[in-house]
Amino acid sequence: MSDQTPKEIGSVSFGLMDPETYREISATKIITADTYDDDGYPIDMGLMDPRLGVIDPGLECRTCGKHSGSCNGHFGHIELAAPVIHVGFAKLMRRLLRGTCRECSRLLLTEEGMDELRSRLVRTQQLGEDPQDVLKAAIRQARKTDRCPYCASEQYEVKHEKPTTYYEVQDVLVGDYPEKMAAAMQPGGSGDEESGDTGATSPQELAEETGIDLSRINEILSGEFRPRPEDRQSIEEALDVDLTEEDMNKLMPSDIRDWFEDVPNEDLEVLGIDAESSRPEWMVLTVLPVPPVTARPSITLDNGQRSEDDLTHKLVDIIRINQRFMENREAGAPQLIIEDLWELLQYHVTTFMDNEISGTPPARHRSGRPLKTLSQRLKGKEGRFRGSLSGKRVNFSARTVISPDPTLSLNEVGVPERVASEMTQTMNVNLQNLEDARRYVSNGPVGHPGANYVQRPDGRRLKVTEKNCEELAEKVQAGWEVNRHLVDGDIVIFNRQPSLHRMSIMAHEVVVMPYHTFRLNTTVCPPYNADFDGDEMNMHALQNEEARAEARVLMRVQEQILSPRFGENIIGAIQDHISGTYLLTHRNPQFNKTQALDLLRATQVDELPAADGENDTGEAYWSGRTLFSELLPEDLDLEFTSSAGDEVIIEDGQLIEGTIDEDAVGAFGGEVVDRVIKTDGSTRARVLINEVAALAMRAIMHFGFSLGIDDESIPGAAEEQIDEAIDNAYDRVEELITTYEADELESLPGRTVDETLEMKIMQTLGKARDSAGDIAEDHFADDNPAVIMAESGARGSLLNLTQMAACVGQQAVRGERINRGYEDRTLSHYEPNDLSAEAHGFVEHSYRGGLDPQEFFFHAMGGREGLVDTAVRTSKSGYLQRRLINALSELETQYDGTVRDTRDTVVQFEFGEDGTSPVQVSSGEENAIDVDAIADRVVEAEFDAEGSEAVAAAARPTNLSERADDRSAGLDLPPAAEAATGGVNDDD
Amino acid sequence: MVDVSQHNLVPEHSVLDNGGVEAVLEDYGVDRTDLPKITRRDPALPDEAEVGDVIEIRRDSRTADNALVYRLVVDS
Ligand SMILES: [Mg+2]
Ligand SMILES: [Zn+2]
Ligand SMILES: [Zn+2]
Repeated sequence: MSDQTPKEIGSVSFGLMDPETYREISATKIITADTYDDDGYPIDMGLMDPRLGVIDPGLECRTCGKHSGSCNGHFGHIELAAPVIHVGFAKLMRRLLRGTCRECSRLLLTEEGMDELRSRLVRTQQLGEDPQDVLKAAIRQARKTDRCPYCASEQYEVKHEKPTTYYEVQDVLVGDYPEKMAAAMQPGGSGDEESGDTGATSPQELAEETGIDLSRINEILSGEFRPRPEDRQSIEEALDVDLTEEDMNKLMPSDIRDWFEDVPNEDLEVLGIDAESSRPEWMVLTVLPVPPVTARPSITLDNGQRSEDDLTHKLVDIIRINQRFMENREAGAPQLIIEDLWELLQYHVTTFMDNEISGTPPARHRSGRPLKTLSQRLKGKEGRFRGSLSGKRVNFSARTVISPDPTLSLNEVGVPERVASEMTQTMNVNLQNLEDARRYVSNGPVGHPGANYVQRPDGRRLKVTEKNCEELAEKVQAGWEVNRHLVDGDIVIFNRQPSLHRMSIMAHEVVVMPYHTFRLNTTVCPPYNADFDGDEMNMHALQNEEARAEARVLMRVQEQILSPRFGENIIGAIQDHISGTYLLTHRNPQFNKTQALDLLRATQVDELPAADGENDTGEAYWSGRTLFSELLPEDLDLEFTSSAGDEVIIEDGQLIEGTIDEDAVGAFGGEVVDRVIKTDGSTRARVLINEVAALAMRAIMHFGFSLGIDDESIPGAAEEQIDEAIDNAYDRVEELITTYEADELESLPGRTVDETLEMKIMQTLGKARDSAGDIAEDHFADDNPAVIMAESGARGSLLNLTQMAACVGQQAVRGERINRGYEDRTLSHYEPNDLSAEAHGFVEHSYRGGLDPQEFFFHAMGGREGLVDTAVRTSKSGYLQRRLINALSELETQYDGTVRDTRDTVVQFEFGEDGTSPVQVSSGEENAIDVDAIADRVVEAEFDAEGSEAVAAAARPTNLSERADDRSAGLDLPPAAEAATGGVNDDD
Repeated sequence: MVDVSQHNLVPEHSVLDNGGVEAVLEDYGVDRTDLPKITRRDPALPDEAEVGDVIEIRRDSRTADNALVYRLVVDS
């Protein structure tokens, strides 16, 4: 166990590995492709050699002596019969081949060039840029050099044929050079025409022009002597002929290895390569490491047959070819066969490392499935990094369908009993909680709240069963650990995918409930973007005290009411809550005592305020606004315009006038919620939102609220008016078309006549729909439920209402009238080139009235575009999100206020340029910070605190369970409720 | 040609003198190379800016009146 003490990683360095090191660390050389003998024992020096580690339980590792599970496995090695290229470095090898001398292997740069690179490398390192860029620039420079500045030998182009073949492209003399020269010297040959003499060139003239001896020229012409490259060039120039052809000289891996061995360390340093840890010749493999069996375990199938890992299959191939290669070479096989085998060996080693290289057919399993080799294990979503390290499956998590429960606090989550008794929390038993611990254990694993496991101080874990639970409960002592079920008040993490922002993962307090769904308060739907049409969510039970404390302080729902995206509340009243408060406050209805108490019964208000007056029969009444005011903090002063359009005035916590609707209490910037959370803190805001939701539910149930077909019907007279308006529009469209057809339509600036016509038609029809909507609207009463929802901001808009009651309007695809379908027409119901409204997707009917078949079809076209758009958008934005997260994940705000990355490079000198958190500043447009109000508050607090010493207000309680919070916020629970939950809750 | 640096959306860029640079580096406890970068070809730069200079950018800020940012001029 001594090797399991915590250690600190000082540094990690990446580099190539010396083949000698492979051999040294290798547990054994692998020489045979066989794995197991007939008796099922692994063969020595085979791919399953027991020295490579053990996977079968009970066996002992022949290298380290440990058993399976504690032996990590050991590498072996294969001696390759011939060197092969490592595909992963093919690009770097190409660069080095192009940048170094083919004779002396030095970098093809002068000393000055190297000095410059050295300093550039230092600069690059300082600026934290990519040293790869320096290497690229160096190679680009070196490649231009034709002759080595050190040994003066000529350099040739290096061609890289992917993935692992390299050629040297040399210009060599063609075989029939005498004939070509003779032809060029003939009159009319390709002599230099611009000099005028189109006649023949004599050998004498050629000798003079090229400065070569005449005798030598004659020898060349007779084919007895091959001209030297310099002479060849001057002859080529003089005669204007090409005497060369390209010759592709294949560089074998052994050649490349020899080439790289001579590259001096100093030259590599200039390229940013540390020769100490990475000699370039190590990129050509002479020995292949064999991964331990633990990295490629074989599995025994049901029928007793062994099934080997893909890597093992690949290694078998490599060893087989390796052996054949050696045999053939020893037998003196022809070069051609040797080269074929060499290529085959290269192919197998290449696909062993990466089986998805373009241009190379992937190695396949017998079944035809491509093998999953080394690179495929690491790459991509399901690869080792993204699939097994960054993201993995976890214990203590649960997933089920969600459903709403308005009786829960927004901080709470209803957890089904089944889940609660599977997820556990570890209790450290002490004298204080011994009683509780014993009670949990005695309830057993099935009864709730029970326990599933106990751990004795000696580390032994015992499963609690229905049989042993009573007995075990007796034994539990201080110092034991008990894994008890989740109970009310435990903190858990709750999440809905896609987790697009911080509020997609929040901490909730558990409320254990019957049935099989997670229950949540509907006010937390916006942050999760959840609805209840089958959505599922995940829950994670926290497993240590630190995590629980952090979750409670930082992640609890009430701490997330304000969105860091826009600095306003994202949690607040939605939908029916808003309709409810609207009904309650818009016309300020009156309620008798029974009704008033009923409205407030779901809130924590347990005493009615003074009545607002008496009605005609002498009965006391309370107005809706008075009842709503009961939920507000006593010192709240606020004025704003509601979304219904009236002025809302709140003075001293009393709603004087105005409608409470979306702009007051809604999610996404409700003024009241926003103000309360910023002045009174998140606990008070949570209480407010909970109670507004509760009151609103009672209110909407008091009035009753429903929407039916009849609510969108309008009188016959109005319908006639609408028909007339639409007919008028049709006439105007018809006029436009006539003008257009008479070539009299004037085009708008920057538009063609066709576009102008389309635009004008769209405009006309748009207006027609609007006026139809206006007519319909006039006939809806203020208490029409659709109108109430639209006006209060609860759901829907007047446009929706218009479409239901009056006219659906123009359908569009890509922002234009519908223009697709048949040749020159949308549907066969219309004449070709019919430009009229109805032929291009104008739906004149209302949803309530019903669409005719053509309208229905056009409507479906427009609707389909919407669906396609959302599908495309989500996939695009998902990828964008991933890239942004990867780019920003390491940025961190430091204690000095700067934002830096992990290399300490400054990204922002002050967080957000002003060092303020968007959720801590006032969200008003003007006077961003209301200094006066703050000063007033401070002064007031000072006077209030008179007598008591401390002026600074006590820190707001946030890390307590909800019920404890309530107590400290002065909102005492009725004693009965407290007694019911006491005890069990308090072990946190 | 339009002089971009005179556009009203382009904040004021000025070259910081040596003392200023020292003060900034001291302030934030960073090396010159840890500063954000700006390329020499950036049209917002004053003409006299050279590679290695530190530029002070003064931006208008709704919440903090103006925000100062420093950038190191680099090649390419
Ligand atoms: Mg859904
Ligand atoms: Zn071992
Ligand atoms: Zn050389």
